[in-house]
Amino acid sequence: MLKIALPRPRITFWRVILVIVLAAGAYATFLRFTKGLSATTNLSAQFPWGVWIGFDVLCGVALAAGGFTISAVVYIFHIEKYHPIIRPTILTAFLGYSLVILGLMFDLGRPYNVWHPLIMWNPHSVMFEVGWCVTLYTTVLMLEFSPMVLEKLAWKQPYKIIKSITIPLVILGVLLSTMHQSSLGTLYLIVPHKLHALWYSPLLPIFFFISAIALGCAMTIFESYLSLRAFRKHLDFQLLTRLGAVAAVTLSVYLVIRLTDMQSRGVLSLAFQPTYEGRMFLAEMLLGVVAPIIMLFNPRIRNNEFGLFVAALMVVLGFVMNRINVAITGMDQSSGVHYFPSWSELSITASIVAFGFLLFGLAVKYLDVFPPEDMKKIARGNRAQLPALAAFRAPLWSATTLAFVMCLIFMGGTVVLSYDGIRRRPAPAPLVEGSGVVDISHGLAELRMPEAIAIKMGPTSPGQCFFSHARHVKRENPNCSACHSGLFRMLPTTPDITPDRKMRNCGVCHDGVKAVGILQEERCDSCHLNKSAGLARS
Amino acid sequence: MDTQTVAKKALLFDSTRCIGCGACYSACKERNQLPRTAVNFLSDNLSADTFTVVNRRNNRYVRRMCMHCNEPTCVSVCPVGALDKSSAGPVSYEASKCMGCRYCVQACPFSVPQYEWDDPITPRVRKCDMCRDRIAAGVATACATVCPTGATRFGSRDELIAEAQARIRDNPGRYVDHIYGLAEVGGTSVLMLSDVPFETLGYRTDLSQPLPHLTWNVLHKLPTVVSIGGVLMSGIWWITKRREDVRRAEREENGTSSSS
Repeated sequence: MLKIALPRPRITFWRVILVIVLAAGAYATFLRFTKGLSATTNLSAQFPWGVWIGFDVLCGVALAAGGFTISAVVYIFHIEKYHPIIRPTILTAFLGYSLVILGLMFDLGRPYNVWHPLIMWNPHSVMFEVGWCVTLYTTVLMLEFSPMVLEKLAWKQPYKIIKSITIPLVILGVLLSTMHQSSLGTLYLIVPHKLHALWYSPLLPIFFFISAIALGCAMTIFESYLSLRAFRKHLDFQLLTRLGAVAAVTLSVYLVIRLTDMQSRGVLSLAFQPTYEGRMFLAEMLLGVVAPIIMLFNPRIRNNEFGLFVAALMVVLGFVMNRINVAITGMDQSSGVHYFPSWSELSITASIVAFGFLLFGLAVKYLDVFPPEDMKKIARGNRAQLPALAAFRAPLWSATTLAFVMCLIFMGGTVVLSYDGIRRRPAPAPLVEGSGVVDISHGLAELRMPEAIAIKMGPTSPGQCFFSHARHVKRENPNCSACHSGLFRMLPTTPDITPDRKMRNCGVCHDGVKAVGILQEERCDSCHLNKSAGLARS
Repeated sequence: MDTQTVAKKALLFDSTRCIGCGACYSACKERNQLPRTAVNFLSDNLSADTFTVVNRRNNRYVRRMCMHCNEPTCVSVCPVGALDKSSAGPVSYEASKCMGCRYCVQACPFSVPQYEWDDPITPRVRKCDMCRDRIAAGVATACATVCPTGATRFGSRDELIAEAQARIRDNPGRYVDHIYGLAEVGGTSVLMLSDVPFETLGYRTDLSQPLPHLTWNVLHKLPTVVSIGGVLMSGIWWITKRREDVRRAEREENGTSSSS
């Protein structure tokens, strides 16, 4: 059985950060579910999807890309040498999808209805497909992940069953995640008038898919590297190097298709205009695509642990930037508002990320995520054949700190770019109200005031009273809403007006201040007809 | 979506007849039991508590409300079918199905659907439903009922199109020769007439095609992609496995000398 010896937790820098982040997230969660989205987010009708969709969902799903890439390589293509990194990538994918679902719980207005797409079908909706993909693929990933737990629990029968259906599971998983990666791009096909031309393309689903494969490789490198250092486990470094090469090739394909597409749509020049969008696009492409391609195609950098790590990190950050650009930057101009996430949105996002790191750490510690055979090989002395770690011998925290600093620079750069961009953007042409008097002559020619309305007589009424619109409303400036905002109904349910007891309704205006007072008025017959006068005044 | 029945009922809004009295605005609030949201209704915007507004644009009064598209983007994007286009024309919303993803808010080309951002647990999407129950009862919408100038008219879509064409024909020079909503996004159940170009009134004029096709073009390929992909991958799995098996068998025949 699983033996977990809990040592007294040491207080370290990263643990303190973790606790602070999670505490802030817990408070933001409380606010989200007591005060609503308006109090905790900067979302609005103009900007209905923010960082929770742009980062938590779009990037969380992409974390799983390593899972389907490596599973396909090993199980479908039988390239067995990648077997050792299957488990960490499956774990990351499973965590990624779980965190996406967690993130959705915050973003969805009615999270308890999240299962509705399973029974209330609308196959025309991309979101319907996304819902199904998330559900099915999370299930598949859970099954793929379960052997790691089952073996620890020594439950042989379920373990055997799961193992025996591995291949169909993997095929299903690859199909589902392929669909899902691309369908997240398809989501944005419906907003050609909202998403900036630098990012909107009919090929969005394909871009999302290809970039997810590159990210899958980069994430595998990134997380293997970090966990190897953190948990002092060793892996054949050559595997990661080759993944780096695959990422470079994939990114090149991506770059070529993307630029060709932009060229054919005639929007390439937009990238070089001094706009916020142009700069964000250039930053995304140069730092997140072009630079890592150059680094990864260079064997010296690729074969250097530190170089590979930095290149992988740049691919990851470039990918995140792309998704943020699609979800947020590209929507900015058309929305007419400048969305920037609130502290609650950011702290919940940070908590979800921190939670992911925490779960990954626990899993690596207590489950056999990294292969024990590898450890044996190292014990047999194969370690000498592994490329030396000489290039980057600094302790773990320097790698983590580097990643942290790069993220900070990346976020800071984004803020600077957006701030500058916001200030320099020419204001969108405002809707002109026009000056002067509106010509309503055509309308007035057609104007028909309602006929005099007979107010039902109470038993004490001195005589029939009529309300005449014509006498109360200025024809040149009829403001119906002045009286019809709550006080007087416009859509009577009964043809009669209810008796105005003690003339309260008339008295609202006829109080002697706004209009002639009626309650003190002694001449009732100025409004109430004598019975003998009949309906003459109608 | 492709075989959507033609909408029967519609509203015709003639901006040249609108005198900015706000009757439609107030009647809409009354019918939907919405609270007051503005001191001056002319400066109000669509919100969770306001389903139609009268604004002043380019020295005209114009209305904004749900256009009740013939091929509604919101209906096509809703993952749970909470939005529905009835054959009579109205696009209406059923809160009990909704999961609050706000894809409709994101996707609507007219930026109509609004959301109850204040509600932490049971927020609804809010918009004009073309007085669905009144139409079902055979009465005109609240806004058309109270309009004192006939700027907003309710009727069958075909008749209103004929009337709009007649107004353009019979009043040369008064209107621009365009019925907004006749072809926009594949046609809408709200039709509009104006004497100035529609873009100067704040209406989008870049919406010639129905939007749901953009995603459906991709979505309808999925079954094909999935079946071809499944077969392809099973094939690759079988071939590479077979190659591996053959290699292993050969290795066993030749002893261990040839392998490395």
